[in-house]
Amino acid sequence: MVRTVGLPRMHKEAGERRDFLPDFVAFLDRIGAERVVVEDGYGAGMGFTADDYLKASDKVRVGSYEECLAQDLVALVRCPSDDAIRKLRPGAVLLSMLHYPTRPNRVALLRERGVRGVSLDGLTDERGARMVENLEAVGWNGVRAAFQELSHHIRHFDQPGRRPTRVVVMGSGYVGGHACRAATRCGDPVLREALARKGVPGVAVTVVDYDVTGHENAMLDLLEHTDLLVDATARPDPSQYVIPNAWVGALPEHAVMLDLSVDPYDFTTTPPEVKGIEGMPEGNLDQFVFQPDDPVYREMDARIVRTHRRTALSCYSWPGVDPRACMEVYGRQIEPITRVLFEVPLDSLDPEHGRHFERATARAEVNRWKSTH
Amino acid sequence: MEKHPLTFGLPRMHKEPGERRDFLPALVAEVAKLGVEVFVERGIGSGMGLSDADYTAMSPRVHVVDAQEAYRQDVVLVLRCPEPEELTLLKRGATLISMIHFPTRPKRIKRLLELGLEAVSLDSIADDDGKRLVENMRAVAWNGVEAGFAALAKNFPEFDDEARGPIRVTVMGAGLVGKHAVEAATKYGDRERATALDGKGLAGVEVTVLGRNLTGRWQYMRERFLHTDLLVDATQRSDPSRPLILNEWLGWLPQHAVVCDLVVDPYVLDGNPPTVRSLEGIPRGNLDQYAFWPEDPKWSDTVPTSIDSRNRRTAVTCYSWPGVHPMDCMALYGRQLSPMLETLFRKGGAKDLQPDGDFFERALCRASVSRWRDEGAPVEVDEGEPG
Repeated sequence: MVRTVGLPRMHKEAGERRDFLPDFVAFLDRIGAERVVVEDGYGAGMGFTADDYLKASDKVRVGSYEECLAQDLVALVRCPSDDAIRKLRPGAVLLSMLHYPTRPNRVALLRERGVRGVSLDGLTDERGARMVENLEAVGWNGVRAAFQELSHHIRHFDQPGRRPTRVVVMGSGYVGGHACRAATRCGDPVLREALARKGVPGVAVTVVDYDVTGHENAMLDLLEHTDLLVDATARPDPSQYVIPNAWVGALPEHAVMLDLSVDPYDFTTTPPEVKGIEGMPEGNLDQFVFQPDDPVYREMDARIVRTHRRTALSCYSWPGVDPRACMEVYGRQIEPITRVLFEVPLDSLDPEHGRHFERATARAEVNRWKSTH
Repeated sequence: MEKHPLTFGLPRMHKEPGERRDFLPALVAEVAKLGVEVFVERGIGSGMGLSDADYTAMSPRVHVVDAQEAYRQDVVLVLRCPEPEELTLLKRGATLISMIHFPTRPKRIKRLLELGLEAVSLDSIADDDGKRLVENMRAVAWNGVEAGFAALAKNFPEFDDEARGPIRVTVMGAGLVGKHAVEAATKYGDRERATALDGKGLAGVEVTVLGRNLTGRWQYMRERFLHTDLLVDATQRSDPSRPLILNEWLGWLPQHAVVCDLVVDPYVLDGNPPTVRSLEGIPRGNLDQYAFWPEDPKWSDTVPTSIDSRNRRTAVTCYSWPGVHPMDCMALYGRQLSPMLETLFRKGGAKDLQPDGDFFERALCRASVSRWRDEGAPVEVDEGEPG
């Protein structure tokens, strides 16, 4: 059973500032953690100091990355490297976004090392709805950033005489829904209220699905009058663009394009996988805004047509743009799962008759997942 | 699990003939599995084609009884809150679980406390972030939009015409219901219909969502309404004494257009302040009738004569949209409730729920009437209760 917890930092990108908050550490203390090791500098990206964590619980101590990896339970949002996984001791629990379906090598490594993965993205209720997710932040953070750009690009953005802002959202699933709601509020309720007080017209958000995006004439009619184009699609065939680069040319010069689906370009596969909007750069937390003259376009694969460009926003991890808010959400979502790990030995988890979160944890544990897939 | 001392009652709802919902055998089985004796009212599920035997087949712990007996159990679950006279059937100290609507029903709260009942309001069960855990906003939107497209298919001769452009839907309001309505509208409110029309090569649906910064601008709204096939109201007005859309504006819609009402506020003209419907002059439907064509003689039944209703378009409106597809609705409620009932029975009822317990215990505790009373929560106006 879990008794000690390691909270290592994520070192993949300089812009990755997310760590669990001191409140989560206090929760670990309440449910019986005997020791919580936080990596030196933990939380610094969000303005927290070691003292903030030490004050949250007297079970906390600050240690190295390796010391964090040596605990019973190791928790971090993004999966650590294979090298780091190899440093976990057999029987340790790794609570992280492990993405079993698309990472068969990782599944094999976890099993080979005897590490008990519990995948945050695999925690679902009986209906298959994810229990640990922040799609709301994907929609809101992306749209907020896009409106900041739009405010520089639309003439008279804050003047009452202009026409309503026109947003087109492609895709009406979870992310599209949040993006749509965010867009009606300019991505930021404070900005929306400020504009409303000045009498500036609001935002008309048009949402279309695949049965419209596939009709060129209908799309060109829409794109000609679009200020912000949002890609929130989940394509069944990622080798096909939704918006070929030629259609990008139909957008007004001031328009902004926002990529929320963050599929990568991958020319190592057959057929190659591409982003939804042709010519959209791949961004991350270090850079997610690209003006048409950005050097990134010169470095893109020659097979990607990027003749027509508009200001583009793309980020591999939109929730990470607002790290503190993101980790508040994740912290609350994983509390009941962590409680299960402290109360029930992993081998005793009952996926049929256990309680709600116990069943979910059982389904997300790597060995049980492997046995059913 | 050893036999639990608490018992569980499932009375039926008798409010309107069109109300066909009852909790399903699957939920009954879940609770019986905990060792709880379950008492269901005779005829339960019959509105959905189920028989008493479908319930008793789940477990020997399931018993078929009359309504009075079903109400006399330790924990009683009814989706829509029982009528005042039905509340007296519960025994003192029992726990009622239902859509009680604490914020808008002060008299009901008082009565529950007078009767010595503990109560958990389904509409108040929320996670630590305030997100409701028992809700079916999705069905409000999907069922309403499905009815809207069904009416549009009858009104709009070009609906199946391969040469037509995208159908144009305007959704007013981008809250939770509006969000679901947008997704539903992109699929014609019915995935099978969407697949069939897409298979014919027809252009799909273009859904435009408007927040309150636009709905008040008549010039903009006139332009939009002139090209709107389906108008969906999913707004939450800050001032329910004024209509959002004047009846005159509805006259801008094409003759074939359909108005879909997901708000279902009532007309309460003698209230202080009065409440009027968001779309001026449309009727208010229920599970017995939710589609109204302009010439329908029942149009005026729910529209006071002082309200302007001269401009009419086909309206779909229902006090309880989730009830249109009762089986789907109750399957969802059952799944949402299952872990909570498990927690409740394991804790021995609502009285011992702790505010610092586990996830579901905290959520149930926050939704209990005693917690509501102890916190002296503000009481708002009495109004309807979409279930």
